[in-house]
Amino acid sequence: MLVASCGDDGTSPSHVSIAVGSGQDQHGPLSAPLPTPLTVLVTDGSGNPVSGQVVNWTTTGGSLDPASGPTDDNGIATSAWRLGPVTGAQEARAALAANGSASATFSATAGPAAPAPPLVATVEVPPNYGAHDTYVRDGIAFLCAWNTGLILLDVGGGGHGGSPTHPVELGRVVTSDDGVPGGAQVHNAWWFHNPVAAENRYVFVGQEGPASVGVSAQGDIHVVDVSDLTAPHEVAFFHLGAVGGASTGTHNFWMDEPAQILYAAYYNGGVIAIDVSGTLSGDLGSRLIANAQPGGPGDTYVWGVQLHDGDLYASDMLSGLWQLRLDRSGGRFSVVGGGNNVPDRFGADLWLTNAYAYTGTWGSVPRGTNSGNQIKVWRLSSSGAPEAANIVSISGAGNVGDNEVSADGKYLLATTERGRDEAKGLYLYRLADPANPTLAAFANVPGSSNQGGGLHTGTFAVIGGRRYVFAARNPGPPGAPPPALVIFDVTEVTP
Amino acid sequence: MPAGRSDRLFPAILVGLLLAPGIACAQALTGDVGAQAIVGTFHADPVPGGDPLTELKLVQPLLMLRAGVPAWRLGFIGTLDFEGWTMPNGELAPGDWGEGFVDRRHPHTYVHELLLVGDVVRQADYRFSLTAGKGFAPFGTDDPMSRPFVRYPVNHHLAQILERWVGIAALSIGPVTLEGGLFDGDEPEHPGQWPRFGGRFGDSWSARLTVRPVKSIELQGSHASVASPEHRPGAGLTQRKWDVSGRFSGRLGSHPAYALVEWANTTEADGFFEFSSILGEGSWSPGRHRFAYRFERTSRQEEERLIDPFRSERPHLDNQIFGTTRWTVHTVGYAFAIPLSTLRLDLSPLVEVSAGRVDKIDGLFDPEAFYGETTFWSLTIGARIAFGMPMHRMGRYGAALPEPMLHNHGEVM
Repeated sequence: MLVASCGDDGTSPSHVSIAVGSGQDQHGPLSAPLPTPLTVLVTDGSGNPVSGQVVNWTTTGGSLDPASGPTDDNGIATSAWRLGPVTGAQEARAALAANGSASATFSATAGPAAPAPPLVATVEVPPNYGAHDTYVRDGIAFLCAWNTGLILLDVGGGGHGGSPTHPVELGRVVTSDDGVPGGAQVHNAWWFHNPVAAENRYVFVGQEGPASVGVSAQGDIHVVDVSDLTAPHEVAFFHLGAVGGASTGTHNFWMDEPAQILYAAYYNGGVIAIDVSGTLSGDLGSRLIANAQPGGPGDTYVWGVQLHDGDLYASDMLSGLWQLRLDRSGGRFSVVGGGNNVPDRFGADLWLTNAYAYTGTWGSVPRGTNSGNQIKVWRLSSSGAPEAANIVSISGAGNVGDNEVSADGKYLLATTERGRDEAKGLYLYRLADPANPTLAAFANVPGSSNQGGGLHTGTFAVIGGRRYVFAARNPGPPGAPPPALVIFDVTEVTP
Repeated sequence: MPAGRSDRLFPAILVGLLLAPGIACAQALTGDVGAQAIVGTFHADPVPGGDPLTELKLVQPLLMLRAGVPAWRLGFIGTLDFEGWTMPNGELAPGDWGEGFVDRRHPHTYVHELLLVGDVVRQADYRFSLTAGKGFAPFGTDDPMSRPFVRYPVNHHLAQILERWVGIAALSIGPVTLEGGLFDGDEPEHPGQWPRFGGRFGDSWSARLTVRPVKSIELQGSHASVASPEHRPGAGLTQRKWDVSGRFSGRLGSHPAYALVEWANTTEADGFFEFSSILGEGSWSPGRHRFAYRFERTSRQEEERLIDPFRSERPHLDNQIFGTTRWTVHTVGYAFAIPLSTLRLDLSPLVEVSAGRVDKIDGLFDPEAFYGETTFWSLTIGARIAFGMPMHRMGRYGAALPEPMLHNHGEVM
């Protein structure tokens, strides 16, 4: 930090100082953007932030965007650093335009680019809004392909010669629209392995209907009988009525299979728990155990849920990460911890493992001025309450919509979409230190001219001793690749 | 036949059909041509991000051809629009939206209209026509391009359905006209794109009832069902549209005057989404001067913006919107006509000023954060240059016009 003094009001160019804010000492691949933008703080002689001071950014390698810009109302100027092509230490400098001797210096280390896992199979789907999610279990992949329906693929366990490199379709079903405008809109699925009944008969399918995000939604839960994987057919449905006067719609699922309870995120409807024991047929409305809006009316729009150590965690786009507990006999959820803890961005999907949680961020519209370019890392307290532990930034990403930790707890995957083409795709992080994920691999899945492309969701699967990621590639404008299930073999990059 | 092949073949066949009568009956062919363009400086403050922006643009560069073979009661309408070349990134217009543009008015397709009109019956009080080709569906009000302002209203995509393959029947008995049309629901994705014929033509329809109690007054009500307009393959939601308007075109004092009041409404997903508009505009043209004023209040869906904040994502990934905003806009305009008769040119220097505000109705989109403030203004200074035949009323064909098109030159606004 450099300071010079003269002048009389404390804000003359020679009287202000500039200091490093965030972004110091980062590591990144050659010629790639660093995850955390560089920031400097400009203050006057009294230590007060000074706005409107133009800061010039220069570097010994790569580029900075913007190369020049004023400080904001908090005295902060920001620039994104893309490293140069030379391995080793690189340096960036921020200097006041009005007084070049006042400057701050940043260091970073450039290494080889993160390796890209090989794409081993592509299953294209019609451009009817494409593929949204895939559920993989026992060598069967359930591809959720919107109005094309639910497609069952043998990827190693279906007995029809399929494998991750050569998926073989077993069957498909277009679930009922249930009167929801827009059709089946198959979005997500969960294949229920019922240990009580010792059967794998049902797949729960989420219908993502029209929605005004943050306000209202539509879409039901459909139950598909897959006793015969080649002839799936719908047998039951669940519809949650309006909550607070606004229609509701389902999103992601989790199950407590031994207890035969299906948990579902329900956007503005909050979270629900349904009894799915026994035979499922017709309207399951009477099987609702409990539902709750963790953020309260007007501040609830739940993206995903996960059961962990007996509690249900809910990631709410509006009100953050919650720890809830189901009182089954009382038919209600209670808030145990968390909540109102992501004010800077809209929340997205979640994953919990051991004593940590990871949540994505959504930025199809900015919250304030922030896009969805972060993974929030949470440490769970002894009571299980989430406490902010770290942030992983993905420069250029628009949405970090999905994340998941591998079954062995070693790797975290995140899928990105929207934003810049070069930032779209599959990110794999090592969790040697679960609080500090480090990039292990990256598969770029661009669109065309920063439109389309990217991955909506992704999930790990271990098949035949190798580790794969099944991901849903988005549609795009003419020139972009078509929507598809894309399968990466990540074995070599996630040893 | 694969849809893509038929989409390419259909325009070629249509052009052939359109040209054949003219060639065959060259001696009996009547027609006229016209052209126009507006060159101007467009300023808006703020634009997305909070800053002002000024651009120099050539907008509405049109080449228009009307022809007829009276013996066959056939007419031809062709309008080429070169905005794809002169303004590929659109025209600054806070609040405007459509075809993947936001806060900019999108460029139209190169072939704006290409129609064959058959006046099957033309009697004093009874007319019946059939129209086929690429153009406007019988719905709503005239294209804003053929109205007094350069700036398009926010409600353009609530009040007009354009650049589709259309088949229209129009019956006019005395002061009452009824039109019905079939068309494809898909709207263009870029200026060089033809509408889809295979798999889409006929998936959408509209009907319009027009009453002209006196010559200068026109009242219309119309309804349309438009399948998947924003998703070309057809997986999008169906829009139900209503439009009611009253239009005056006559004289105020001894000078030409024009006025329009309009209500438009569009719902999607069986009413889950609803957007509406009220609009009133008028102009008065004493001598070479033209004074104009427009007010509108229109609601708009907010969609995901791309890296370019003036663009929204196409194709959609799902059926979600991220908020609804209401745009209230006042626009005043002045133009001065300078006829250059020897060259068949009309030169009209013009200025337009708009001011308004945007309000959040619901959802996550925060206009104050996005634009930095909730009020805005815009300024256009430029000149319209026109040659030959004046622009016709875009959106009505054959018996839907008060007079046959070849006798309908230059209705004053």
